[in-house]
Amino acid sequence: MGTEDRVKKILTENSLKGVSPEELRVDTPLIEYGVGLDSVATLALLVALEEEFQIRIDESGITSETFETIQSISNHVNSIVQGAF
Amino acid sequence: MNTVRELFVNSTSRFPDNPAVIEGDIRITYKELASITDSLSSFLYSKGLKKGDAVSILLPNSIEFVAAFFAISNLGAISVPINTAYKKEEISFYVKHSLSNIILAEGKLKPLLDEIFKEGDVRIAVVKGDYSEWGISSPDVHGFNPPAIDSSDEAIYLYSTGSTGRPKRVSRTHKNLVALADNHTETVGWTDKDRILFTVPISHTYGFGNFISAVKIGALIYVINEFNRNHVLDLLEKELITVFPAVPVMLDVLAKTYLPEPKDLSSLKLVLSAGAPLPERTFRAFRDKYGVYPRQLYGSSETGVISINLGAGIEGTFNSVGRPVKNVVVEIRDENGNKLALNEVGEIAVKSPSMTTTGYYGLPEETEAVFKNGYYFTGDLGRIDEDGFIYITGRKKLFINISGNKVDPVEVENILLMHDSIKEAAVLGITDNGGSESVKAVIVCDGELKREDIIKFCRDRVSEFKIPRIIEFRDELPRSPTGKVLREELK
Repeated sequence: MGTEDRVKKILTENSLKGVSPEELRVDTPLIEYGVGLDSVATLALLVALEEEFQIRIDESGITSETFETIQSISNHVNSIVQGAF
Repeated sequence: MNTVRELFVNSTSRFPDNPAVIEGDIRITYKELASITDSLSSFLYSKGLKKGDAVSILLPNSIEFVAAFFAISNLGAISVPINTAYKKEEISFYVKHSLSNIILAEGKLKPLLDEIFKEGDVRIAVVKGDYSEWGISSPDVHGFNPPAIDSSDEAIYLYSTGSTGRPKRVSRTHKNLVALADNHTETVGWTDKDRILFTVPISHTYGFGNFISAVKIGALIYVINEFNRNHVLDLLEKELITVFPAVPVMLDVLAKTYLPEPKDLSSLKLVLSAGAPLPERTFRAFRDKYGVYPRQLYGSSETGVISINLGAGIEGTFNSVGRPVKNVVVEIRDENGNKLALNEVGEIAVKSPSMTTTGYYGLPEETEAVFKNGYYFTGDLGRIDEDGFIYITGRKKLFINISGNKVDPVEVENILLMHDSIKEAAVLGITDNGGSESVKAVIVCDGELKREDIIKFCRDRVSEFKIPRIIEFRDELPRSPTGKVLREELK
């Protein structure tokens, strides 16, 4: 499963419970679903991504653009994973 | 001690050199806090604030917030703490409904406040940040004449979320607040050596109760305004924090956070969890990672703290909210108000000296429905076991719990119905397998509306935690023969 699909899975298990994965494209604006609005929910999402990808995400590196789309989240995750190597 | 002022003076005179508040790089003692508070009282007095006036406090967790509450109390006026995360409509409601004469605010909110309130509606006094008319370094040049204050005078208005579409105003007196601080501190055994980290908002009843208790005992109040997990962990360790009031989602995030090196939280003797049920996995994960058990606290805007789980056998009672704090009585009642036996499930009813004695302002029917014969009927369902431990098993009230924040579905429905294209709306909570709730809106609209239109509309009007995350469009809402929306069919 590629990064985008894993990110989508994490989203639909956390911030986007009740949303069908088929409804989400990699470039769907996630703000339409309220992602990124609530700081505590965003943290819970960060932690879920860390667990899924076994990485550490520094909150200071997160901007509003990071959570714009599944693609932007995936890019951020990949940059950390690749940086680890 | 009978009044808030007496509580404050008692602490500032007994513990003048104790650290009182830390905010960022600024550290002040109780003696310094007393000076700052008197200076603010003088400022407010010079602006005409009188006994019985209401003052909205629209400030973040800060030295200014702490000073504001006691400065207002010095003048016999009434504090109305308002969450700084609130949006235009919400701020307007709280300020107007509380009949506030003055708003004490942070500079960055001034443009928004100027937009909401016309000249003459209410005085806006900026006391923190840009545009400040007063600051913590301001000298006390005016002086003030403290009025006589009786313990039965009103000291604070807090708002309780219900299912009526609008929050309900609850008045608590000086006597109520002193009793709250006494009951709390005597139950948990805090001392002036305790150091309490406030990331939960002091403007909310949970944070407020812990805050006034901390001042009563001369403890340190460490304030931050954002839950940044790494910053919180650093502070817990480096500032030797002894008490950490939190909500379950914070504890869950901290328990799951990756640590490059272990944290030494050995100073932490009490971690409180309130606002929402504490999941077992969070309880155990936090304990396993940090070596301290989170303990549930139960309370309400109407009563203050009701119970805390301080039991030695916490492993087996983690899902209990504990035994009542000192001087508080809790009973389980049936539908007719009769007391039930141990382990029978019914409505939790509370009698407490820190409880409001006047009920809900302007709402006699709602007041009569829940305040009966000296007891407050919480709307929570539960039972009490043989050892006196309270377990919450459900709720009668219609609200949605978002990470400890209560959302009134009727309030959100009313906001949605303000949209020209929305004909009908029903809002409900959807609970996932882990027990977390999300706000769902089911909408019947005229013409085409997209999900992002709804989110944007709500975002401009309500706090973010109230915004529906799940949105469903239907041609009609299911209703009973009497016209009531059948919410169960919308899940």
